[in-house]
Amino acid sequence: MDLERELRALEIAWPETPHFSVATPRHARWRRHATGWRRHTAVALAALAVAVAAAFAVPQSRAAILRFLDLGGVTIEFVDRLPAARERPLSADLGPVVTRAEAEAALGRPLLVPHLQPLPPLHLRNRVVSLVFAEHGEPVLLSEFAFGSFFFKKLVGGSTSVVPVVVHGDSGLWLSGAEHAVFFTTVPPRLAGNVLIWQDGDLTLRIEGRRLTEAQALDLADAIYPGMG
Amino acid sequence: MRRAQRGDSRAFEELVQPHQEIAFRVAYLITRNAADAEDAAQEALVKAWRALGRFRAGAPLRPWLLKIVANEARNRRRSAGRRERLALRAASPGEAAPSPEEAAVAADERARLLAALDELPDQARLVLACRHLLALSEEETAAALGVRRGTVKSRSARALERLREAYGSRA
Repeated sequence: MDLERELRALEIAWPETPHFSVATPRHARWRRHATGWRRHTAVALAALAVAVAAAFAVPQSRAAILRFLDLGGVTIEFVDRLPAARERPLSADLGPVVTRAEAEAALGRPLLVPHLQPLPPLHLRNRVVSLVFAEHGEPVLLSEFAFGSFFFKKLVGGSTSVVPVVVHGDSGLWLSGAEHAVFFTTVPPRLAGNVLIWQDGDLTLRIEGRRLTEAQALDLADAIYPGMG
Repeated sequence: MRRAQRGDSRAFEELVQPHQEIAFRVAYLITRNAADAEDAAQEALVKAWRALGRFRAGAPLRPWLLKIVANEARNRRRSAGRRERLALRAASPGEAAPSPEEAAVAADERARLLAALDELPDQARLVLACRHLLALSEEETAAALGVRRGTVKSRSARALERLREAYGSRA
């Protein structure tokens, strides 16, 4: 009896292999409906609210990493305890300064920025375009990246508030309260302050400021769009 | 690879796409649960994506990837604290069976062999499953199990012996 041969000859009824993606983790199903959100904002916002509520409803006694949400190029994991991360300036690790044309070439579409005179330096790292400017005397970081071209993750502790919002008709999230950790692909994790994240078509936008309020962040986001500011 | 290491997620997905099925199956063998295997493989791919900058240029991708997947699967299994049976099923032989009687005998033998395999201790079961059910190389099996190639050889020999005893006792 050649057991090795018999084993190799076995045809196993394996479970079907799911589709995996680093840009679209399975845990969060929202992004698959991103196009629909643009057309049906009210429905999407309701779904977003349900998803946020569901994410928080998972019992705390399960594994350390409990819940996931996804928005554009951002994955948000809800964890019991944040990993080690340092507080660093908003302008840290943004990459070299580039021209507007280079920034738009990296995004594959026009940049969305508030009307600022002069326009602050644009930075580019891993196809993420960032700029830092002052709002109400506080530094604010605006980052933009194309859908599917980039991945970064936020880890949110239990005392961080995550609420769904609408920005210019698109779905977004407002993260505030306790600090959360943010992971980019190639730089060390850092602690982040209050953050507004939203999608504009295939673009994900993110505004961060330590003392930024939700109203200020939404005003800033609206100011990015012509005729809204 | 260069595009992926520069942060192009589509390039990374193209790189790992040919290995997704084997990665999922390795995770399934370890977690013994399709949902946990899916979570483990997904999370492992994200970790691999983050760690790609440290991947040694020119090294084979599959063993590196399988090692990350297997580690994640083991972590999931430990944290889940479950002891599920693997419950592998043999696929239907289709047109290959010469007669219904012979087909029934062959199916019974396959079921006995799989049951015997499933009853082996984890180490023995996994090394045989990796080498013979998934047809992984010794290097890939070593990466997935987190052991040296020599350990794969010795562990395989002992596992086959145990399987032979278990299978024989079921005859």
